[in-house]
Amino acid sequence: MKKLIFIFAAMGCIALASCSKDSDTSTSQADFATLKDSVLIDFVAKTAIPGYEDLLAKATTFDNVVTALNAAPNAANLASAQTAWRNMRSTWEQCEGYLIGPVEDDNYDPNMDTWPVDYVQMDSLLASSNTLEVANIEALSTLSLRGYHPIEYILWGTDGQRTAESLTARQIKYINSLTADLKNTCTKLRDSWISSGGNYGAKVLAAGKGTQPFTTKQSAFIAIAAGLADICGEVGDSKMKDPYDAKNPSIVESPFSGNSLADFKNNITGAYNVYMGKFLGNEGKALHHLVAAKNLSLDNKIQQQFAAAIGSFDAITLPYEKAIISERVQSLQVMTNLATLKTTLEEDLNKFIVDNIND
Amino acid sequence: MTIDSGLPVNYSTMRIRKIYIVATLLALPSLLVMCTKPSAFSETEYDPRLSGGAATVFDETSKAFGNMVTGLSVYDQHIHSLGDNSVDQTFVTAPAPNNSGLGPIFNNVSCRSCHHNDGKGSPTTGTVTSSMLMRLSIPGTDAHGGPLAVPGYGLQLQDLAIFGKIAEAKVNISYVEEIFTYADQNIATLRKPTYTLTNTYLSLPSNVMISPRMAPPFFGLGLISLIPESTILSFADENDANGDGISGRPNYVYDATNKKMMLGRFGMKANTATILTQAAAAYQQDMGITNRIFPQESSFGQTQLDPLTDDPELADTLLDAVDYYLLTLAVPARRNTTDPQVIQGEKLFAQVGCTNCHKPTIQTGVDVRYPILSNQRIHPYTDLLLHDMGDGLADGRPDFNATGSEWKTPALWGVGLFEKTNGTPFYLHDGRARTLEEAILWHGGEATKAKQQFVALPQTDRDNLIRFLKSL
Repeated sequence: MKKLIFIFAAMGCIALASCSKDSDTSTSQADFATLKDSVLIDFVAKTAIPGYEDLLAKATTFDNVVTALNAAPNAANLASAQTAWRNMRSTWEQCEGYLIGPVEDDNYDPNMDTWPVDYVQMDSLLASSNTLEVANIEALSTLSLRGYHPIEYILWGTDGQRTAESLTARQIKYINSLTADLKNTCTKLRDSWISSGGNYGAKVLAAGKGTQPFTTKQSAFIAIAAGLADICGEVGDSKMKDPYDAKNPSIVESPFSGNSLADFKNNITGAYNVYMGKFLGNEGKALHHLVAAKNLSLDNKIQQQFAAAIGSFDAITLPYEKAIISERVQSLQVMTNLATLKTTLEEDLNKFIVDNIND
Repeated sequence: MTIDSGLPVNYSTMRIRKIYIVATLLALPSLLVMCTKPSAFSETEYDPRLSGGAATVFDETSKAFGNMVTGLSVYDQHIHSLGDNSVDQTFVTAPAPNNSGLGPIFNNVSCRSCHHNDGKGSPTTGTVTSSMLMRLSIPGTDAHGGPLAVPGYGLQLQDLAIFGKIAEAKVNISYVEEIFTYADQNIATLRKPTYTLTNTYLSLPSNVMISPRMAPPFFGLGLISLIPESTILSFADENDANGDGISGRPNYVYDATNKKMMLGRFGMKANTATILTQAAAAYQQDMGITNRIFPQESSFGQTQLDPLTDDPELADTLLDAVDYYLLTLAVPARRNTTDPQVIQGEKLFAQVGCTNCHKPTIQTGVDVRYPILSNQRIHPYTDLLLHDMGDGLADGRPDFNATGSEWKTPALWGVGLFEKTNGTPFYLHDGRARTLEEAILWHGGEATKAKQQFVALPQTDRDNLIRFLKSL
């Protein structure tokens, strides 16, 4: 009997709810408006800034480890340096899921991640009497002598068979200054977002208040969504496609460490986590919640396509520079999945934002 | 009970009459149409957002300048993407397995290092993120009437060098702030730049002339190249026959690709005739990458010329792909075109005389290879002609027909997106203006009257005019 009363009571609630359509809509609109703000707040506080904080932490560790390698160039320290490189690279590639703001405006990206390596210049630099201090590194005319890839080249060698004994003192000194330079760049990048620095985070939070760069909220959401699509394009249309089309292993990025596929996958994982609001384990409200609130099927479609794209990397068993020759079907499948995902993000997600976020 | 039995009119007759009436009514508009001569749509029938006609893209993100036009075949899309990828490539010192040939002296390492997000970049020189370079010459003209190269330097200063080589010089920029006060006591602060060259690798002649140039945005060039020469010449009024204080004259320049004199359309002084020549010259001069149009290193004649026999360093396919990429970049659509303040600003823009040079609407010609660019009604806001802009902006360095105080009217499409594409926006040929207002206030010479009228506007109107510019 009590159960029945509950059931009636429940039905009554449903009936009431269905009668009060207007108030319901306004409530859900208020919820959606709150959600919109939460998404921007969490994008800044739980994705962007923690991402760069983590990058700085990884850069600091990397610099410390390479400093240890400089003091004692042995196999264990070389292995730690290689691990620290991969760890920092992992965070960086995920941070490329939101290449908006200072990272592109102030050229932090090319400061850290210029490719290819300039072997001739590096040889003449190492053979010179340049003292290779951080200030000397900063004074170099080209970014191809700075950042991840020259370090990678020295830590692994061209064939990935680097031994601690084969490293020269000047090579280690050089990469130790490069890791310090990376740490400086990551500090500036982090500072550019926080309130004690350039405070780009506040510019995102001010979206819709008429100030640049996001005069409307819509434009901020479009920028975040475009960042997701852009990285899918960068991986699928460029990083993977160029060596694939040319069948040329020498143009694959991160070849010395054999980290190419991990780089690519981390790029897309980063974008997925930006979409889901689960960046590096920090949970918050994100585009996923916004889309799911109004269009579950689109949210499902985006999640499925992300999963398909990320999952398809696992079908490639060889390093990418070999896969472009021997696993072309699997490589092409990843690019196809990325193209599908990119189209969904550029068209469906963008349209969702334009249709539902009008302020 | 019947209602209609007593009606005098036979039902079938009524139906026939109805058909006649309907037929007549239907025929009437077509008769009227037949009486009216076919005419162009009225202004209001065009969508004002379509700055590039069919070659317009709706993108207001930081990547707004880097979109492909629609309607390209799959193969053409591939070539566009190849060019897109090529402008991203960082060049390294020769010999290298890929992207070989940087320098030995250069201004930057890739196209996008200067053309940030396919746009403008920063008005600095000699750093890895600089987007400005210095043109050089001495008085006199070369065999084609162009500027005369400085012995040992050429026509452009390369202020960076690969490790172990010496850059030609260092460019120092200093700004002096000048306060401009409106009648209503509002003020604007203008920065007047001074450029000096130090650390020269070889002494410079005392009569050297220098001209700073910022990297211009990439998009819309295909449409510009399709504007009929006759259209551009129709805007010219070299002797100011209409007495409006504005002359406007074409530049004719030597084109290294076609090996003949042609109408200049590109460059700050309309000093380049074709996209291909512009791109090829940038590869060779800005990056030291030799190519089939300019197969000789920029350091030719200097002691630090590399002894390698790797020229041309850039594959023809890549140069042509970059040419095609630049040709097929879409123009970003306008925003806020229905905002009354923007509409008011647009009226004022015409009313104070800006449109005398910044021509709002031009029709492109037809090139069957590029249907999407052909016969388009575009809004570039330029006449592509040279105008004397006064002493404040003068560089004092003639370039073919252009005098030391003449500049080509720059296109204004996309100017409202610089804050997006660039982070910090900069305007004018050397990025001295930090706001559109400053850029307007720098106008002098033939634009003095228009500027004075802008200055005389009440502040709300000035704001509206700038709002209009930001909608471009």
